Amino acid sequence: MDVSLTRNFCIIAHVDHGKTTLSDRLLEYTNTVQMRVMTDQHLDSMDLERERGITIKSHPVTMTYRAKDGKDYKLNLMDTPGHVDFSYEVSRSLAACEGAVLLIDAGQGVEAQTVANAHLAFAQKLKVIPVINKIDLPSANLELCTRQLEDILTIPAEEAILASGKSGIGIVDILEAVVQRVPPPRWAEYPQARILVFDSLYDAYRGCIAYVRVFSGTIKAHDMMMLMSTGQKAEVKEVGVFTPKMEKCASLGAGDVGYIVSSIKTPSEVKTGDTITIAARPATEMLPGYKEVRPMVFCGLYPLESDDYEKLKAGLGRLQLNDAAFVYSSESSIALGFGFRCGFLGLLHMEIIQERIRREHDVDIISTYPSVIYHIVKQGGEQIEVDNPVNMPDPGTILEIREPTIRASIIIPNDSMGDMLALIMEKRGVCDHTTTLDMNRVMLSAVLPLNEILVDFNDRLKSVTHGYGSMDYELGDYVPSDLVKMDILINGDPVDAFACIVHREKAEGKGRQLCEKLAEIIPPQMFKVAIQAAIGGKVIARDNVREMRKDVTAKCYGGDISRKRKLLDKQKEGKKKMKQIGKVSIPPDAFIQVLKN
Amino acid sequence: MSEIAPPPAEPPAPLGLYAHVPFCASTCDFCAFYQTEPTAEGIRRFLDGVAAEAGLVGWQSPVTTVFWGGGTPGLLPPPDLRRLGETVRARLGGRAVEWTVEITPASATEARLAVLREIGVTRISLGAQSFRPELLEALGRQHSREQIFRAYDRIRAAGFPSVNVDLMFALPGQDEAAWQADLGEALALAPDHLSTYCLTFEEDTKLWVKLSQGKVRLDPALEANLYEATWARLEAAGYAQYEISNFARPGHACRHNLDTWRMHEWIGLGPSAASQHAGWRGQNPSDLDRWLAGVAQGERMGEERVALTPALLVEDALVFGLRMNAGVDLPDVRRRFPGAPWPAVQAAVERLVDGELAEESGGILQLTPRGRLLADAVGVELLGVFTSPAAGRGSGEPG
Repeated sequence: MDVSLTRNFCIIAHVDHGKTTLSDRLLEYTNTVQMRVMTDQHLDSMDLERERGITIKSHPVTMTYRAKDGKDYKLNLMDTPGHVDFSYEVSRSLAACEGAVLLIDAGQGVEAQTVANAHLAFAQKLKVIPVINKIDLPSANLELCTRQLEDILTIPAEEAILASGKSGIGIVDILEAVVQRVPPPRWAEYPQARILVFDSLYDAYRGCIAYVRVFSGTIKAHDMMMLMSTGQKAEVKEVGVFTPKMEKCASLGAGDVGYIVSSIKTPSEVKTGDTITIAARPATEMLPGYKEVRPMVFCGLYPLESDDYEKLKAGLGRLQLNDAAFVYSSESSIALGFGFRCGFLGLLHMEIIQERIRREHDVDIISTYPSVIYHIVKQGGEQIEVDNPVNMPDPGTILEIREPTIRASIIIPNDSMGDMLALIMEKRGVCDHTTTLDMNRVMLSAVLPLNEILVDFNDRLKSVTHGYGSMDYELGDYVPSDLVKMDILINGDPVDAFACIVHREKAEGKGRQLCEKLAEIIPPQMFKVAIQAAIGGKVIARDNVREMRKDVTAKCYGGDISRKRKLLDKQKEGKKKMKQIGKVSIPPDAFIQVLKN
Repeated sequence: MSEIAPPPAEPPAPLGLYAHVPFCASTCDFCAFYQTEPTAEGIRRFLDGVAAEAGLVGWQSPVTTVFWGGGTPGLLPPPDLRRLGETVRARLGGRAVEWTVEITPASATEARLAVLREIGVTRISLGAQSFRPELLEALGRQHSREQIFRAYDRIRAAGFPSVNVDLMFALPGQDEAAWQADLGEALALAPDHLSTYCLTFEEDTKLWVKLSQGKVRLDPALEANLYEATWARLEAAGYAQYEISNFARPGHACRHNLDTWRMHEWIGLGPSAASQHAGWRGQNPSDLDRWLAGVAQGERMGEERVALTPALLVEDALVFGLRMNAGVDLPDVRRRFPGAPWPAVQAAVERLVDGELAEESGGILQLTPRGRLLADAVGVELLGVFTSPAAGRGSGEPG
């Protein structure tokens, strides 16, 4: 099959560098989408994507472009997820391409994600086309951008195209560069069909819809296909392309990007990165790069109102249909009642799911402290994985605890260097490399424990750099670490929602902070209530809940008894709604208030 | 009430008689009791009504204690006091063990006191509230500090065996020094009994309105301090505390109220009066006309009506009994109400003892001073062991 007139490419950029706007201009120029139906950010269809300026799902689109050489080219553009949480998804989208347009904001220059994405593209052996975007901004600094291209990304400055997605400058240059610089589809001559799944979508009527890039062979309705990772076979019901709407077509051939509807209903059976082949003449080697995606960050999600449990469950189920990387299972907590243990690819992923539950499914939720997966080596050599501190085995049985690390690339202004290094140190990180980017900025390379960046690292980074810092990271190794499980006890009873795994040296500080907060938030009690942070049996911090000072009615004679009874009965009913931890009555939102901070 | 075993070895069960005299010259800012302005016609109808209501009660044993409250019983003209006294005396088996009448300083005339003494009243409760003119003013009281002294002298001169003085604390604008000064003046009178009431904000009072408008503020910490200061000072002065707000010299504790807190029976006459009698607890309408209309049809204690089930009585014997310093005799209550969830009660008792809110010795459960300051919370804790609202909200026959 002749693939010489097909080009597959993607656009990669740091967040807000104008990726989606540029995609829109390309769609317009190639008349793929008419001006009149064009809304801003056409490809980001989810509300949340539009609002946050990020891309979560892939939005492929096929365009036709008549190049200056007079030939009509089929250009498949992959609008890829841009965040590190989705780096595997990004890598699969990139694997579906031969070229990448790398956008750099002319006013901002190279940012952490620019570097990370460029490296992903290099790793997939893509031809990278550098585009300096937003050149009509008053703050545009072309000289700086081209120097950074050469210094940081080792891309020759003369390859850079100057553009503005907003005003349409450079659009033709980009399209021409795609045609001329990006090679035609690779591995088209492979003898059997090999089709890469780079994303999938759940449709209530049609089941799982696989987003695919065909490398070799053809596929059409009624073919019997096979998923190579599992050997599962299924009948193809329909194939089609993205225009950007899904449009049915007769068949997909080498180099094409499109979708496959099959007899498979369950989205989790069609995994991103898998290779589809034709069952009758199967390929023997999968396309490279497939791996099982596993959640990295876990937390408990609980409905604020226990009546909302079923609603939350239904919401999580629906979200999972379109997001195989998100996992959940039911759990219960003494403090928070019935809820779910949820696993996410990363922090942004977690935030997005939580927000979609609140917004699209209208359930108020509270989340427990996020946790990572710890590898625990027990006496006798048995290894287990723990993603919930509650499940941590007895410390006496533990030989070693290993925690996941990340390798972070952090770009900051020079004058934030001291503060940033202090922050990295506070978070138990090690900065092992610094690169000067330009007169004002440096790039730090650091290894940090993943659990230290879960909660407030990004906010702190923004704060010490006055908003100018940016960070990207990739997962690193598991390393042994002196970690302990810290329990929070109320009058000696552990409160599961507050159990956490912390580094031994940080336990006391964190313990004290939690105790203080709880002592402040729990209303005065009639009984003495001690709040303690403990490791194993050893108390490392404590505080006392304020004692109720006075709660007595002065006058209580015959005529007052009925009135008094009613009042006490009412108080008794109110008390039933509280969470009882031993003798202590705690208003349910007290836990929530502590967890919110 | 067959489940309730009679209290052992206690001669004729106490029976209280409470008469609510609903007349007041004005309404104090803190007062939530039912009262109305006195007119000759209103008083006549009230007295007729009390007599008629007394005729509706199935008296099965003689009354042992009497208490006239209000309103201001002392506001009745002497002949009317005598008439009310006759209605009461008809129900006594000889003399009352104790007969209390509440009087305000402004109404304590020699003529009234003489009549009261004559009909058999044994105890006068003088509503002084405070000796500070500015605080009396702030409370909306209609008497002066001088009137308190004059009234007290007259009461003593009339020869009543027992005299109580009512005081209030934690009043808006009253600091601890001002309260100590009031206590000092009261002690200087050497009454037999003192009632000291922490100001309570009751709905439907002017004070409540002020509170909700932010014109006055609650300060539980100050209130607690004042409670403790009061208890220490009165004990040192020879007044034993026997209930949250009540202190007496030996032999002068108010029997009528003690019997009430021990869940013995009493019969209330008059508008808004509550009764606990013949298996029912209930209240009369808080309105002269409605009360009279009810009595005319043979009805009384028809509001807030609950059946006195053993469960309700156990709960109340515990909750209200613990307000007394003598505490609750657990084995005794258990004998009277064996059907209560005693293991759960015992567990709650242990929690209270553990928390140093109560002490138990020889079956007697008593609150500690800290427990006394938290008596309501303790009550809720105890009620918590009883699964459902115990009272069968009754719709049965009138008692």
